[in-house]
Amino acid sequence: MVFMIDTTTKHIGKGIGEELLRSGGNASEFELIDTVGMHISHCIGCNYCWLKTPGVCAIRDDYEPILKKMSSADQVWLISDTHFGFVSWQTKNIVDRIMPLVTMYLKFKDGQMRHVMRYDHQPDIGIIYTGDGDRAYLEWWCQRTALNLGSRSLGVFSESNGKEAVSCML
Amino acid sequence: MHVVIINGSPRVQKYSNTEKIIAAFAKGLSEKQATFETYAISDRKTWGIIRDAYLKNEEILIALPLFVECVPGLLLEFLETLPKKDEHTRLSFLLQSGFAEGCQLRCGEAFLEKLPEYLGVRYGGCLVKGGNFGIRLLEEEKQAQGTKPYQAMGRLFAEGDGFFREEAKKFTGPEYFPLPIRLIIGLMQKTLAKKMFQKAAASWGCSVPLDEKVWE
Repeated sequence: MVFMIDTTTKHIGKGIGEELLRSGGNASEFELIDTVGMHISHCIGCNYCWLKTPGVCAIRDDYEPILKKMSSADQVWLISDTHFGFVSWQTKNIVDRIMPLVTMYLKFKDGQMRHVMRYDHQPDIGIIYTGDGDRAYLEWWCQRTALNLGSRSLGVFSESNGKEAVSCML
Repeated sequence: MHVVIINGSPRVQKYSNTEKIIAAFAKGLSEKQATFETYAISDRKTWGIIRDAYLKNEEILIALPLFVECVPGLLLEFLETLPKKDEHTRLSFLLQSGFAEGCQLRCGEAFLEKLPEYLGVRYGGCLVKGGNFGIRLLEEEKQAQGTKPYQAMGRLFAEGDGFFREEAKKFTGPEYFPLPIRLIIGLMQKTLAKKMFQKAAASWGCSVPLDEKVWE
């Protein structure tokens, strides 16, 4: 399943979803969430999801259904505005709160310490961005983020290259 | 030198590892007759006061924990509220994380290196150090021991060269652990550390396995 999370002010996710369907994508195989109007807090770093209520975030807001979908998706696409060349704080908040998907336990993988995953299935991660993003940096960050989830980066695409991103979704 | 220190952690100050690191760092500043004022972004109500301090002062240090390879979302939100300044202001960073190897913090450091330019200010370097997850779980006395090395970095910073000196670079420690160390730590993670985490969890009232698959 392809899961897109759109935090952009221009709501570009809808157009990308339509492009995916035009390109032969199956409507039942993709889902788009536009976070406008949703209440999604930042991660407060309480560590409850590791040590007090493992796998469950302590913050009760609109985020948990998103995380559940991320957990079961094959691909997660973060559709974000950019500031300082990076994703917006709205998108970063969504990513910061993936911590319930990993456990407190640690192991070495490819020479670096990593958290042991809570679930067997991990989603690959991609980024589609608006504005003046620093693509090289976003590529690096996306790869590192995927590494944290034991998955891989699907790549980083500017809004104008949305069709390329769609070709990765099929 | 007068330093405005901003704790960029979203965690409440009482439980913030970054706060404890700042306390040790500030002690080092004082030893060299530098003065400081500290703020924390975890309390949104104080953001206006922090912004004023940022605007009125020229030596700014943001201390922050690494959150998923970069700055925490809450700090990003705060940064977006800062107006542009000029190069009379120097912005330095103290980036800390749970993972101990230097390589884990480089992606976050690269973002911080470019950030001052977006804000119109001068970059004062970034002190990078991992291995801080456990500070919060330690007793007070051991917390002080664990954060003591940051005191020396406070003294170094007070000398005026930001974090560009060799001592600051060396402070990070190894980029990667050599294989024998990885094997030892790996074994510890499967045994002693697991028990330690389970004990910490029990003391927090947790009664389920830490690797519980809640959605299966």
